[in-house]
Amino acid sequence: MKKNLILKNFFIYFSALIVFLIMFFPLYGLILTSIQPENIIRSRNLSFFPTEIIFTHFAEVLKPNHISNIYEGIKNSLIVSFLTSFLCIILAFPAAYSLARLNLPAKNIILGTLISIYFLPTILFVIPLFVILVSYQLDDTILSLVVPYTAFTLPFVIWILKSFIDKLPVEVEEAAKIDGCSTLQLLIHIIFPLLRPGLIAAFIFAFILSWVEFLTPLIFTNNLKISTVALGLFRSTIDIKIGQQAAAAIITLIPVTILMIFFQQYITKVVLSGSDK
Amino acid sequence: MTDLLNQPSNSQFKFSREKILAFTLILPSLILVFITYLYPAIFTFVISFAEYDIIRLKIKKFIQFKNFEFLISNYFFTSSVLRTIYFGFLICVCTTIFSFLIALLLNEKFIGKAFLRVMIVLPWAVPSVVSGVLWGQMFHADTGFLNALLYQLGVISGYKIWLADPLVALHVIAIAEIWKAIPFMTLFFLSGLQSLPSEVFEAAAVDGANVFQRFSNILFPLMLPIAIPLFLIQFVLAMKSFDTIFVLTRGGPGGGTTTLNYFIYQEAFETFNLGRASAAAYVLLIITLAVVLIPTISRFLIKFFWGNK
Repeated sequence: MKKNLILKNFFIYFSALIVFLIMFFPLYGLILTSIQPENIIRSRNLSFFPTEIIFTHFAEVLKPNHISNIYEGIKNSLIVSFLTSFLCIILAFPAAYSLARLNLPAKNIILGTLISIYFLPTILFVIPLFVILVSYQLDDTILSLVVPYTAFTLPFVIWILKSFIDKLPVEVEEAAKIDGCSTLQLLIHIIFPLLRPGLIAAFIFAFILSWVEFLTPLIFTNNLKISTVALGLFRSTIDIKIGQQAAAAIITLIPVTILMIFFQQYITKVVLSGSDK
Repeated sequence: MTDLLNQPSNSQFKFSREKILAFTLILPSLILVFITYLYPAIFTFVISFAEYDIIRLKIKKFIQFKNFEFLISNYFFTSSVLRTIYFGFLICVCTTIFSFLIALLLNEKFIGKAFLRVMIVLPWAVPSVVSGVLWGQMFHADTGFLNALLYQLGVISGYKIWLADPLVALHVIAIAEIWKAIPFMTLFFLSGLQSLPSEVFEAAAVDGANVFQRFSNILFPLMLPIAIPLFLIQFVLAMKSFDTIFVLTRGGPGGGTTTLNYFIYQEAFETFNLGRASAAAYVLLIITLAVVLIPTISRFLIKFFWGNK
């Protein structure tokens, strides 16, 4: 029996190591490329540990005149992602409350439609949106990114917030209603503070999804001034400097990774709350 | 008595007021969704039967089913449809298997589990452009790790240009997509595993069922209702994939990595043939809907076969 347990443990740690290597090695390779000089990257002597660490690639990439325009890209992406997440929360919070608590007719149909929209091919909606934006000369603006992003993310955010509201105790709301609290007051003063973890999770979801969006800015913007960080990174692949390309990729990655690590618990909560129904 | 009589009308009044309130709260979201989804969907539908003038931004003339006829007779289109289905199928089969195995692992107790979970979730946060760059560098002909590793191990005699072979390139993109898709599905599988009653397994173990029997007779049927929707969602998402293809191969070499989604992009924004692109987008939509409708059928089948046990 004890021997069996040791064997089982060995098997668990061994597979954990394999999984770790497979999932993490690509990222490690990227980090390695970003901190080594170009001649070492290009040499045929493979080493999995850095022999010489430099940060010039990062410095080069962040210069204002660099081909990838990462510096501008970060600024734009931050603005666009914040606006999108903010807008998503403002729109989704009352909608989620309505779906979760109020007597809305055809509730399940509305929720089902919203969720399934997320899985439809984006390109179907992008073609006419492009025509609309061009005909009103709204392409190449922050607005041309924020509005589609918000629409693409909104169904997801509504679903997250709804599953969090579902878990709140109804008694608090009933007590507040008996005390003469109007629905608006209820939403702002009672649900909003209670829902903080859900709101943070939803905000992060929206932020990450807008940060990584690529197709929309690719089609809707031409001006380098409006370029997002994902688009800037793509532009760096035209260049042949592998180290700088890796550095640009790392810079694109950092904000979402930090969000992911810090708020992993919230995101897991979202997933868990969605599946236990 | 008067109270009793007033009760229904009062609640009726409340009922409709609550309905109005419910609608007011959800209305802004619905308006935005309608503007950005429903109107474009109708627009795309209309111009899929027309020739669209991209410069004057209006419909030149209606040509009935010509766009669809062109597509069906076009080799690039038909091959990209088949490729998309293969690509989607490959990705979701591999993702489902790997995610399930990883979820099984994470369901066990071991030191460093929390750390491993963070590491596994990480690729989900990686923007697909970054994953394109990352795998592009991995498989790079001159500087890629793969070439260097295989060369030093003596598996290959010279450096290979991986992305020059259409079939290899397609699978490289699939690897990138699978790597990115694993985290999300793993979390879902894990939550599914954690919601299973452990007594069943203990009872089976006491009864002398071995690991494989426990897997095929208990775990598999219990997890199937979770696995099928995840599988289909992954299929739909894989058919939508664009960024990785765009960054890694731009549909090449020789159209070997052009999926339907990428084909539509090329028709719409490289050759600016919006009518044809819209027609192709509707073909993609029909395939997607067909896939989405399968869960309803499969749920029925699961109930039919396993529900009565």
